[in-house]
Amino acid sequence: MGSRASTLLREEEIEEIKKETGFSHSQITRLYSRFTSLDKGENGTLSREDFQRIPELAINPLGDRIINAFFPDGEDQVNFRGFMRTLAHFRPVEDNEKNKNLSNTEPLNSRTNKLHFAFQLYDLDRDDKISRDELLQVLRMMVGVNISDEQLGSIADRTIQEADTNGDGCISFTEFIKVLEKVDVEQKMSIRFLH
Amino acid sequence: MAGLGSECSRRLAGCVSLLLLVFVAVIVSASPDAATGANETLRHPSGHSLDDSHDHPRNSSEHRKAFPVLAFNYEHVSKPFVISLWILLALLMKLGFHIIPRVSHIVPESCLLIFVGLLVGGVIKAMDQTPPVLDTKLFFLYLLPPIILDAGYFLPIRPFTENMGTILVFAVVGTLWNAFFIGGMMFAVCQIEAARVGHVDLLSCLLFGSIISAVDPVAVLAVFEEIHINELLHILVFGESLLNDAVTVVLYHLFEEFAHEGTVTVGDALLGVVSFFVVSVGGVMVGVIYGVLGAFTSRFTSHSRVIEPLFVFLYSYMAYLSAEVFHLSGIMSLIACGVIMRPYVEANISHKSYTTIKYFLKMWSSVSETLIFIFLGVSTVEGPHNWNWIFVIFTLILCLLSRVLGVVGLTFIINKFRIIKLTKKDQFIVAYGGLRGAIAFSLGFLLTDTEKKDMFLTAIITVIFFTVFVQGMTIRPLVELLAVKKKKESKASINEEIHTQFLDHLLTGIEDICGHYGHHHWKDKLNRFNRTYVKKWLIAGDRSSEPQLISFYNKMEMKEAMMLVESGSAAKLPSLASAASLQNAQQRAPPKQRAIPSISKTREQEIRKILRANLQKTRQRLRSYSRHDLFSDPFEDSMSEIRFRKQRVQMERRMSHYLTVPANRQETPSARKVWFEPEHKVYTYDESESPRDGAALETLPDTVSLLSESPQRPGQSSRLRKRGDAEQSANAPDSQEEPQKLSRCFSDPGPKEEEEEGEG
Repeated sequence: MGSRASTLLREEEIEEIKKETGFSHSQITRLYSRFTSLDKGENGTLSREDFQRIPELAINPLGDRIINAFFPDGEDQVNFRGFMRTLAHFRPVEDNEKNKNLSNTEPLNSRTNKLHFAFQLYDLDRDDKISRDELLQVLRMMVGVNISDEQLGSIADRTIQEADTNGDGCISFTEFIKVLEKVDVEQKMSIRFLH
Repeated sequence: MAGLGSECSRRLAGCVSLLLLVFVAVIVSASPDAATGANETLRHPSGHSLDDSHDHPRNSSEHRKAFPVLAFNYEHVSKPFVISLWILLALLMKLGFHIIPRVSHIVPESCLLIFVGLLVGGVIKAMDQTPPVLDTKLFFLYLLPPIILDAGYFLPIRPFTENMGTILVFAVVGTLWNAFFIGGMMFAVCQIEAARVGHVDLLSCLLFGSIISAVDPVAVLAVFEEIHINELLHILVFGESLLNDAVTVVLYHLFEEFAHEGTVTVGDALLGVVSFFVVSVGGVMVGVIYGVLGAFTSRFTSHSRVIEPLFVFLYSYMAYLSAEVFHLSGIMSLIACGVIMRPYVEANISHKSYTTIKYFLKMWSSVSETLIFIFLGVSTVEGPHNWNWIFVIFTLILCLLSRVLGVVGLTFIINKFRIIKLTKKDQFIVAYGGLRGAIAFSLGFLLTDTEKKDMFLTAIITVIFFTVFVQGMTIRPLVELLAVKKKKESKASINEEIHTQFLDHLLTGIEDICGHYGHHHWKDKLNRFNRTYVKKWLIAGDRSSEPQLISFYNKMEMKEAMMLVESGSAAKLPSLASAASLQNAQQRAPPKQRAIPSISKTREQEIRKILRANLQKTRQRLRSYSRHDLFSDPFEDSMSEIRFRKQRVQMERRMSHYLTVPANRQETPSARKVWFEPEHKVYTYDESESPRDGAALETLPDTVSLLSESPQRPGQSSRLRKRGDAEQSANAPDSQEEPQKLSRCFSDPGPKEEEEEGEG
């Protein structure tokens, strides 16, 4: 079972993934070949080390958090379904999708879900709030080591002050959405998967 | 009231038109033709007086010219005089339009200016003088560069690079399609017997097509700036008008060369294609070289700040001229120079130089634009014209048709590659915004073949007039009618900046995981390259290693500090720097230097200078509202009053931390006064009241913004957060309570400040 699944992708699986994520057939096969090329252990799943082997990811300030976002809570391995599910957030939003979607749940690449994905990268403890400390951590990662704590602290305070409408000193998901309403998230958080 | 207003404006309009006529008369009489005549007539009386004066002294001594007390020597200054008068006329016209508001709402400024030009031209012609024509050299060397530099320097980089593919396709392929379609169809039209233009051969038609096909940046800027359309459409049309210059240059020179020869071989066509790449890439490279030079020079200007703006202007102008020397695209060179130079120069130069550059560029481009449109009008009257009904009408129709077909066809192809597709509305606006302008006219003017030149010029002018007048006037109601998205006014937000950068990193990471070398991947590579190598060379001092986020934040803070002290009120100054220092004070016993946030020395100096210099002014300017007064007149300017007080408090707070000037007590702006009392009383009240007042109010914002669990006023935070918002009427009653509560809680004067901070 194990070795077979790593080399072949069955049609039913492709259909299921298509329904769940909305990717097209060619996109799924293309991403599957990428998945297998990353999967050095050839066991049909990716571990954290497999991701860390990607050179550009190592120098990305948010590299670790992005890798963690692929792994569901507590697990160390991600299979192809999980891989696709995470990547589905970055599919471009198409206008005609709104009509096709018959299920009750929003598609994974809707604006809200995209923003929720980004929000969870900030919010490590999953309490649905970005606290000052979590914000400071992210700022520190993005800015590097040369900037003093006070300056970073004042930036963090200013950020929270701008966004916080209910006065709890943290940024909730609704406040996060509000702050980014002028940013074109559908375009920013989409990757053109070429055929 | 309205009647009075309209009557006033009518009177003003009458004055303006009188002024216009006077000016024209002066200009005409001042123009060189008249000058010599005037001089001669004036010389005679002086000759007479000389003779007279000769007679008298002849008796007494040898001849001795009497010293002329007043002389008239016009030709000495004639040229600059006339130029200055023209520019003055243009600017007065610009002023005049805004006095008559109703007209300027309907008619875009460019139309009004052309109209004025027509009038002036007509007046001059009526006086039998030769009006100045829009000379090609004048246009391309003096009038066009400021506009392009202004556009290029302030080009919004992010939307431009994100839509670069679309813009390039429209600019290159679209212009080529326009040129060949119009040229080819016009040739077919010329074959019609009735038109009597059979002598126009294919190459001339193609030449004509290439001249008229290009969308004009000046006209687009002039019209689009007034309708405030959304950023995407604006950058699409505007970017296209800038980048199609390369195509226009190549096509024009190509067809001009071969119009003489008569035939074009395949080899020539291939050379044309090669030439296109050389012209565009070469132009960009020239611009980049000068841009890097300019950035490098600005690294060393810290000791001679006054000449900094000049470097920016001169390097850019040299880039333009150098590109023109080699027949490369001057416009692309100028844009490239501005774009490359800007981030590094702005990191190096002082704030005043930045303001100078901004305002000089805006000023020059405004004057240029005005002059261009007026001269266009004058040149139209001047002629010579060769009106040929069929030629002109067909040109007009074909221009519109080819534009529409081109945009629709290209969008169909482009949309396959775009994430955000262009809707039908977008396509309509892009097609409708394809205005032609003075570049087409000047290129036509350069033609040497006089016979066809007049006919071509007439057609070009007609198309320009049509696009500017009809399309320019109707685009605003159409935008309203179609409910096209307008530009969103947004303040610089640190949140947006942080999250945008965050998303950039995130997307780069995801692209790397997918193995997809997309937009973000290359942008990230470029940023990394920029950070590690380029910035070190081109930015002076320690700012070279400053992350983008920090410089953004510092810029924002500086802007707010300046706004605060310059206006004296109504600006929100964040207390966060103080809050951060406050937290520091809490966590450890700080030595004095630790409590100051570590901004760079020069920045600190600047902030210090600004705040200190302006505090003197604020002391006099602050009108007095005493604490008592607030209760008795609660609603008299309560809004500005409350904001006023709050940011005064914050300013004090900030000062006390940034300046480490112990004498901040004396320097605090005057405290509340009963406002009908004379000013001098302000100061006496100051000493006794203000420390308490100041200290009491000082701690308030810090406590709240810092600790959300502040026991005193949990609800205060939300109110204080909305400080800067002018419309917070809810603030008024609450804030009135503050002083009361404060006086109860913090009845201690200043020296206890540290304790209160500690408790807070």
